[in-house]
Amino acid sequence: MTVLEAQNLTKTYAIGDRQIPVLGDVSFSVSAGEFLVVAGASGSGKTTLLTLLSGLDRPTAGSVWIEGTDITHLSEDELAPFRNETMGFVFQSFHLVPSLNALENVMFPAELRKDPDAPKKAASLMERVGLSDRRDNFPHQLSGGEKQRVALCRALINDPRIIFADEPTGNLDSENSAAILKLMLDLREERGATLVMVTHSPEIAATADRTITLTDGRITGEQRHAA
Amino acid sequence: MPHSRFIFRQLTRSGNQAAVFVLCVTLSIVTLVAVNGFGDSISRSLLRDARTLHSGDIILHAHTPLSRPLLDAAADLERSGKAQTVRIYEFYSVVRSGMGDDSLLADIKIAGPAYPFYGRVTLASGRDFQSVLTPGAAVVERPLLDRMGLSVGDPLKVGEATLTIRDVVVHEPDRPVSFLSFGPRVFVAMSDLDKLDLLKRGSRVRHYLLLKTPEGTDLERMADRLRSVAVPGQERVETYRTARSRIKGFFDNFLFFLALIGIFTLLLSGIGIQSALTALLKEKERTIAAVKAMGGTGRFVIGHYIAVVGILGAIGTVLGLVLGFALQWAMPTLFGGLLPDDLPLTLSFRAMLEGLVLGVMAVALFAFLPLHRLREIKPGAVFRKESAGRRRGLPFYLAAAALFLFFTAMVLWQLEDPRIGIWFVLGISGLILLTALAAAAILAGLRRLPLRALAPRQALRGLFRPGNATRATIVTLGAALAVLFSIFLVEKNLDAAFVRSYPADAPNLFFIDIQPDQTAGVSELLGTAPRYYPVIRSRLLSVNDEKIDRERERKRRRDNLARTFNLTYRDYLLDDESMLEGNSLFRDDIDGLQVSVLDTVVDMRPMAIGDRLEFNIQGVPVTAAVSSIRTRTKESIKPFFYFVFPEDSLLKHAPQSIFTAVRVPKDKIGETQNRIADRFPNITAIDVTQAIADFADIVHRLSVVVRFFTLFSLLAGVLIIVSSVLATRFARTQEAVYFKVLGAKSRFVLTVFTLENLIIGLISAALALAISQTGAWIISVRVLDIAYRPYPGASLLMGAATVLLVVAVGLSASLSILKQRPVIFLREQTEE
Repeated sequence: MTVLEAQNLTKTYAIGDRQIPVLGDVSFSVSAGEFLVVAGASGSGKTTLLTLLSGLDRPTAGSVWIEGTDITHLSEDELAPFRNETMGFVFQSFHLVPSLNALENVMFPAELRKDPDAPKKAASLMERVGLSDRRDNFPHQLSGGEKQRVALCRALINDPRIIFADEPTGNLDSENSAAILKLMLDLREERGATLVMVTHSPEIAATADRTITLTDGRITGEQRHAA
Repeated sequence: MPHSRFIFRQLTRSGNQAAVFVLCVTLSIVTLVAVNGFGDSISRSLLRDARTLHSGDIILHAHTPLSRPLLDAAADLERSGKAQTVRIYEFYSVVRSGMGDDSLLADIKIAGPAYPFYGRVTLASGRDFQSVLTPGAAVVERPLLDRMGLSVGDPLKVGEATLTIRDVVVHEPDRPVSFLSFGPRVFVAMSDLDKLDLLKRGSRVRHYLLLKTPEGTDLERMADRLRSVAVPGQERVETYRTARSRIKGFFDNFLFFLALIGIFTLLLSGIGIQSALTALLKEKERTIAAVKAMGGTGRFVIGHYIAVVGILGAIGTVLGLVLGFALQWAMPTLFGGLLPDDLPLTLSFRAMLEGLVLGVMAVALFAFLPLHRLREIKPGAVFRKESAGRRRGLPFYLAAAALFLFFTAMVLWQLEDPRIGIWFVLGISGLILLTALAAAAILAGLRRLPLRALAPRQALRGLFRPGNATRATIVTLGAALAVLFSIFLVEKNLDAAFVRSYPADAPNLFFIDIQPDQTAGVSELLGTAPRYYPVIRSRLLSVNDEKIDRERERKRRRDNLARTFNLTYRDYLLDDESMLEGNSLFRDDIDGLQVSVLDTVVDMRPMAIGDRLEFNIQGVPVTAAVSSIRTRTKESIKPFFYFVFPEDSLLKHAPQSIFTAVRVPKDKIGETQNRIADRFPNITAIDVTQAIADFADIVHRLSVVVRFFTLFSLLAGVLIIVSSVLATRFARTQEAVYFKVLGAKSRFVLTVFTLENLIIGLISAALALAISQTGAWIISVRVLDIAYRPYPGASLLMGAATVLLVVAVGLSASLSILKQRPVIFLREQTEE
């Protein structure tokens, strides 16, 4: 079953009076439970594609469908429940709310949907990633690896059907990178979620179900990996 | 060599935060420039021709008839051609319409034909004043005609004489404003003085003799000669240069009070200057780090930012000067009829210079710490987004001490009276310290508050985001509003105590200048036998042989011992009096004459039982020992006396008038006034309720002016909110974007920001209300001695208005943040 579909996505940025094309006519679909890697060199348009797929940005042309709903022209407030319940985000720069402690950061999406079990779920996730003793720490008191584990818990607390990850290990050392990746894949498997990850790491791409490669904003390759 | 392009870029790229800084500098001086400039205009206007303000070169003045030696000396000068003289009598009296069916308390002026020596009395008809003020004529002010329904040509009874109203006086050179008088002016010709039959023994008459001298006369010498024959402590001889004008005294006092508000605004704006500059320089941290990374020295950085701050400060100062002077032109509207009609407003060089110095000093002192902290920025900061924490080192304490000294010096300079100045400094420092401590305690409590609901919890967290000027905002708003609310509450309480709740049993009609042989007739006309109080006018000469220094006493802004006092004699306490020291009014163990004094006198100069007071009772020195100290309920509107002598004493035989106060139904006041004035024209009846209403109106108008200026201090708080939002723009945008990415709707973000401002508004309002209620209670109960009403409805309304203001300002400054699309922010962060 297709959970995510991109149809002829094009994105052009205007800088001054110049038009910079970033993505051109990108189409593909993602099945439920699939782990898709978007690979490509720096500046190939990977992150832009992710922001379009997740509804964080609008394409210049084309459309994005999530579970049969065209999200392309939804307003910010119409997208809010999608972001809260259907998607989870993990960013390279973590993007934790600085004024909330680790536990509160994790609870936040669940609290937004008024889930009474938010504290319990958050605590259990933090225990699962080995951060129980860091629950009261604020982001500036955490290491990079710890921050990303908190971000991962936050992305998963509402059991989203799709997780978008933008270079999740880009800011981490190799030890932490491996640990985070393992955690992310384990948790995805436990929950049966779809994972769309942007990375330029061939090692990570090798663990995915499928890789699509972008070059100068166009899909130049697609590779399925054996299970 | 300064890098002018760097300075220029820093200036042009400073944006909104620089605008807030400039406005704070403007605000810091605008009130003082306006008040000082206006004060100079007033002084210049009133003194541009001080001779006109006093109508003569030398002024002889007494509350008793001028003594023969003084009159003879003046006559000698006139005879020898060294001076011209003119006599003037001023007093209050009830005037009646020709039919005797209406009466009004009027301010009578009887002037000789040479009046005025300087200036001109302007009449509505445009005719010459002296040609109109002929025997049998009265020249009156317009309000008299309006209130009595009379017209020019109608008869007017003044004392025993029936005069004809000949004209309307429009301007009187030695009385530029009329609101200090209780009653409209009536001019009567000197030749009608005897016909009026109003100058009785002990009557309250202001006696003047004006002298005009030829150009080149040594006025001081002539005045000294006259002084040598004047009765000391009773007759005053002044030249136009030294004479105190009542109107100038009033404005000196009022503008002095406004200057206090100006200093208060300066202080709060200073907090704004510091807050805005800290935020402005924080925005420049990465630029500074980059400059240092490229080899720029600390000296280069600080020097260039001093130039940036100096230029912005100069813009703010110039703007403050311009606005301050512009504000002067709004003053006449603001004062609404309390100013002389022809007041010329001028640009005061002194006020301009003062404003300039103040602006420079305020910027220098309040900008010191933020600029000093630039030294702490390390080149490595180019790699970090957060700035290092700040410690309070020696520079902080030095800056704080310098600010306190500057503030104290400025207060003393502006206020001239060191005692009041020190009280003011302590009061304001106490207010700000109290607000700061309370704000810190409340914020510390809130930080620990375990909130379950998401939006309030997030709003609470927002208060403590780095760079947020939450405490500075609360302190500034709280202190400004506390002053504003206090003024409002004290005015309301005064109004309630004296105007709206005029006690049902309090006398409302006072009769003064009753002659001893008229009491039976007055009782008969009133249909009751009221209590009569003998009044003997006198001056205090010395306390325990230490002479009263009249010049020093008169400089005091409060009641003083140099003025004329009304003495009385009786052996009993009045209903509203009680003993403070001593068991009875008089004691058996004191020989000689005794006197009981009111605690108000002791406030002017400490006195104890047994102290010797020397009085001048109409030329006769009399010494008495203090036998007791009394106090009274100040809210009471009953008559009271500072000095009470025993019934059976020599005072009984001194020249005296009698005074009484009665309660008359409101609709019978006019009729009673008419009845008494008809039979005893020399008796002056004062409708106290009317007088109090007039007074309350003036107080209200002055209060509006004070509140207007206090609003400027509130603006400082508003600017700090804006500066705080700007300073935390990154953090706020970050939060808003993350909330949205995680699935929050705009409403949630709006709710969080609204709640955050709501909390700041609520704390500021609560602090302001708590401090103002306490302050107003202390002023009402302890100082004014009136019952206190807290006005909960009005207080809540003021609190709600504060909250609304903070939320409105905070949200409007955050609007662009609310509209920010997540992807743009995220992209910027990724690019960096």
